[in-house]
Amino acid sequence: MNLFRTYIAPYLKQYKWLMGFTIFLGILTALTASMLTFTSGYLITRASEMPETILLLYIPIVGVRTFGISRAVTRYLERLTGHNAVLKILSDMRVKLYGILEPQALFIRSRFQTGDLLGTLADDIEHLQDAYIRTIFPTIIALFLFMYSISVLALFDWVFALWMAFCLSIIVFVYPLLSLFSLKKRQIEQKEKRSRLYQTFTDALFGLSDWIISGKKERFIKRFASESQESHSIDKRIAFWNQARTFQLQVLSGIILIIVGVWAGSAAQAGEIMPTYIAAFTLVTLPILEGMLPLSHAIERIPVYQESLQRIEHIRQFVPEKKVLAEKGEFSHHPEILFKDVSYRYEGENKDALRHVSLSIPHGQKIALLGKSGAGKSTLLQLLLGAISPTTGTVHFHGQHPESYDEDIYKYVGVLNQKPYLFATTVENNIRLGNKEAKAEEVAEVIKQVKLDHYIHSLPKGIHTQMEETGQRFSGGERQRIALARILLKNTPIVVLDEPTVGLDPQTEADLLETMFTTLKDKTVILITHHLIGIEKMDQILFLDKGQVAMSGTHKQLMETSARYRQLYLLDRGEE
Amino acid sequence: MDKQLFNYHGSKTHMLVVGILTVAQAITIIFQAIFLSEAIVKMYNGTAWSAVLPSFYCFIAAYVLRHLIQWAKERLAYRFADKTSLYVQQLLVRKLFELGPRRIGKHGSGNMITLCLEGIPNFRTYLELFIPRFIATVCIPIVVLIYVLTVDITSAIILAIVMPILIVFLVLLGLLAQKQIDAQWDTYQLLSRHFVDSLRGLVTLKYLGQSKAHQSAIATVSNKYRIATNRTLRMAFLSTFSLDFFSSLSVAIVAVELGLRLINGDIGFEAALAILILAPEYFLPVRDLGNDYHATMDGKEAGEKIRELLEMETFASEDSEISVPKWNEESTLTVQQLAKSSDDEERLLLKNISFQVNGFKKVGIVGASGAGKSTLIDLLSGFSYPTGGEIEIDETEIPYFSLKDWQEQVTYIPQHPYIFAGTVAENISWYEPNSPSEKIEEAAEMTGLMELIKSFPNGLDERIGQGGRSLSGGEEQRIALARGLLQVRPIMLVDEPTAHLDIETEHEIKSLMLPLLENKLVFFATHRLHWMRDMDVILVLENGQIVEQGTHAELYQQKGVYYRLIKAQRGESAE
Repeated sequence: MNLFRTYIAPYLKQYKWLMGFTIFLGILTALTASMLTFTSGYLITRASEMPETILLLYIPIVGVRTFGISRAVTRYLERLTGHNAVLKILSDMRVKLYGILEPQALFIRSRFQTGDLLGTLADDIEHLQDAYIRTIFPTIIALFLFMYSISVLALFDWVFALWMAFCLSIIVFVYPLLSLFSLKKRQIEQKEKRSRLYQTFTDALFGLSDWIISGKKERFIKRFASESQESHSIDKRIAFWNQARTFQLQVLSGIILIIVGVWAGSAAQAGEIMPTYIAAFTLVTLPILEGMLPLSHAIERIPVYQESLQRIEHIRQFVPEKKVLAEKGEFSHHPEILFKDVSYRYEGENKDALRHVSLSIPHGQKIALLGKSGAGKSTLLQLLLGAISPTTGTVHFHGQHPESYDEDIYKYVGVLNQKPYLFATTVENNIRLGNKEAKAEEVAEVIKQVKLDHYIHSLPKGIHTQMEETGQRFSGGERQRIALARILLKNTPIVVLDEPTVGLDPQTEADLLETMFTTLKDKTVILITHHLIGIEKMDQILFLDKGQVAMSGTHKQLMETSARYRQLYLLDRGEE
Repeated sequence: MDKQLFNYHGSKTHMLVVGILTVAQAITIIFQAIFLSEAIVKMYNGTAWSAVLPSFYCFIAAYVLRHLIQWAKERLAYRFADKTSLYVQQLLVRKLFELGPRRIGKHGSGNMITLCLEGIPNFRTYLELFIPRFIATVCIPIVVLIYVLTVDITSAIILAIVMPILIVFLVLLGLLAQKQIDAQWDTYQLLSRHFVDSLRGLVTLKYLGQSKAHQSAIATVSNKYRIATNRTLRMAFLSTFSLDFFSSLSVAIVAVELGLRLINGDIGFEAALAILILAPEYFLPVRDLGNDYHATMDGKEAGEKIRELLEMETFASEDSEISVPKWNEESTLTVQQLAKSSDDEERLLLKNISFQVNGFKKVGIVGASGAGKSTLIDLLSGFSYPTGGEIEIDETEIPYFSLKDWQEQVTYIPQHPYIFAGTVAENISWYEPNSPSEKIEEAAEMTGLMELIKSFPNGLDERIGQGGRSLSGGEEQRIALARGLLQVRPIMLVDEPTAHLDIETEHEIKSLMLPLLENKLVFFATHRLHWMRDMDVILVLENGQIVEQGTHAELYQQKGVYYRLIKAQRGESAE
């Protein structure tokens, strides 16, 4: 219910006119369908009385024609306005979800370690359209039809109307609620089985070589078959349940039709209605019921939406509170970075991620940061960016705390992350993300600097070439170059290169590093790296181990003083 | 209609049964209309309601029978769809194993998972809905029409004329909508992916300082997407519109025409009422088919994709019974003129690969990216099949390495060992599930995993992999080594185990790994040339061919391709 209040109700309110119009059209569709049957039933009966002149039939004839034509039109319009309204809501929901994720962008990976969370969230939003189109709209329309038909009957015979209200309640209330509760357990079971199957199969495909080499292929196929069988048999039980429900509801409809027919017959004999209306009343029962039957199906879907919304709600809880900034950091083209005895501990952990780290990076220095995974490299980077604040010690960025710059920090620090994301748009747009106001010559210049000019000009569409999804058209090295061009266009005094060469072969790696050092020579460069290639050119080398500085100095110093460093260096060069 | 539908096991019988039931159902529909109109006319004539009841009883009997048949049809259809889709899924899984990791990788493992786990249910829905709906569309209107023809020719003519018009419009508008959708497919795709794209690139946007501003871009693009969708929907809904329009319009025409002839006394009240009741039933099957059309199309497409995959060429698995001698110190492997062409057979990935190794030698495989290192390892491990050449092990000729006897002798260590969803112990003992826990601990100790395991609250029983704790690249590699320790196999294939690791971890892994390479035949493909000093022989690949062969010292002296690779790695030019 809470989820409904947060994620559905506000939009119902915001788009109440569109929603209202859609529902109005939906009701109109149901009514015209019923009226077509009603008037044609009346028309035939009246005609069979062979009236003196056809003019007496004029009104029902026009009615039949109008309803015959308008039903299709209102249904078409209903579907269009419905979808338009829902798409508007989805659009707002996307913005809302983005707003939830954006402030915690740097922590999503570490906070929610689940496969493709972002893809799932995007899907969740898409699936929410069903909540409106398949559940909310049909429910309101069915409830309206229920109230409407009872009220109309009450005009003729209120006792019978009450009696009908009771019968229809079975369709409108009993069956939907029954479906909701009795299917819920099975739906949960179905979901569990499916996700287990998913896991089994993912393990099989990504671990395929292990299955083949181990000779356990047949064993796997058997296991998968039995799990799949289980999952399918739950699907089957649910499907059979649905089929049985449909049958029961249809039989119920038939009985209601007879009740209405008998009532109409006796009402006509009692003189409460004209005998001409007997056919009309009897026949209209089924089209009216048709508008109510989908309710069970609409209601049983609710748990699915709940799950999607819960996922979004779960993430929303982590949105950090907006920091109030006392004063904004001052701008400088030559910022200096200073870490003084900095320690940091993540919430809920029992060890410091970074312990007593001191570090000074004057403007223009090139510093290399090494360490195993989990040594504290990313923590150091996040402290520098002000995304987190040190537990003890201070970080100074041009004499001020990096947090005080807030988002402006990115005007000083450009980060080329390990897998820089290239968006599904043109090469030019991707590069321009660095600086949207850049002139065409500036874009051309950075492309030349990263040595992609020949390649890109050789493409038929040049810089207007699409990246394709996640940049598949370009090789690893080329993609890094495009990302580098973006950083160059941004022109920040400090550039962080976060393992930019992982996954590249040595030749490509050497070429890329060469380009990076040439283009970034006037800037402060913090190179987080896993290999030692190019290390000789660095002014400062820092090895982190379990949050502490294990080795530091220049290449020359370390070669002279550290046996360990020497060993690693020779290994990297293949000399050991 | 999809011709493939006839080819599934038991589908013809299924269709026949559904067909017979459908005709029976059509007959109950007619009786339902006859008895209902009879009842109404009796009541209209003022008959006491107790006298009308028999008609109502007959009506309800026909009505219930009709829905009972519907229920039986649906149940049968589901059973058939369920059985067939499960069978197809089995075939698909088997096929995936035959295709091997590389060819699956080319299609995208994610796509394959979606196809197998979501495509199959879609395919099931397609079988479940399409067959009975299609048969109903053919049978029910014909039976109803025949009945109407016997009662009133004019109404029958109207109904008979409208049906083809309706279908022509349905198809034409469907095609038009499709054309419109195709025309703006690219823009459409781009817009629909924009949001996921933005979420995936959020970190990058943040680093570029664009993440706040991007929120408005999301609103703008979402709005554009909405407008584009609306435009498409306007066309797409037209086909349903035409269905609704023509069917309800013709019901109206039939009603009016019946009314006019009733005035003249050309037709009886009861007959007219029966026709009026039947008219919507006549169109109902087409409307059902049209309404479910889009729901079933995904399944049809999935079915086609699966068929394409199943038809892909793989080698017969019967050969895997060929016996291969056990590898030992005296064994010799001779490879002559081995070749492998790309899947489209346009390029040779490997050619003229000839070498001979004997006993427990360590063979290094080096070369620039794309030289064919991984392709060669794939052939040796039997993940793919050569397109030419001869292989001989101790005078036994074998066609390829994809043989059970060979693979059972091989340990394979890839760059990114896969961690299965399970406990640490399960992962280490993956190849030897019945290993005693002391052995597992011993393996973990030897690969330096104990410190990590001790830091886990559940120790060896901590869950890792999907849905569990994630491991770093170095830790994954240690798990793979521990796996290799538990099962002692005489051949080891290693594909780039350390290139992605940081230098310190690499150093540690190397010292753990070197002893494991002893007393085995080892093929070791890598970019990281420091490993080559420990190899007995190095094969240097360039453009899919072996260009140099020898030890590190020999090749270094030779100052050829190998020498240049070393220089490039050190960032030096090879003068």
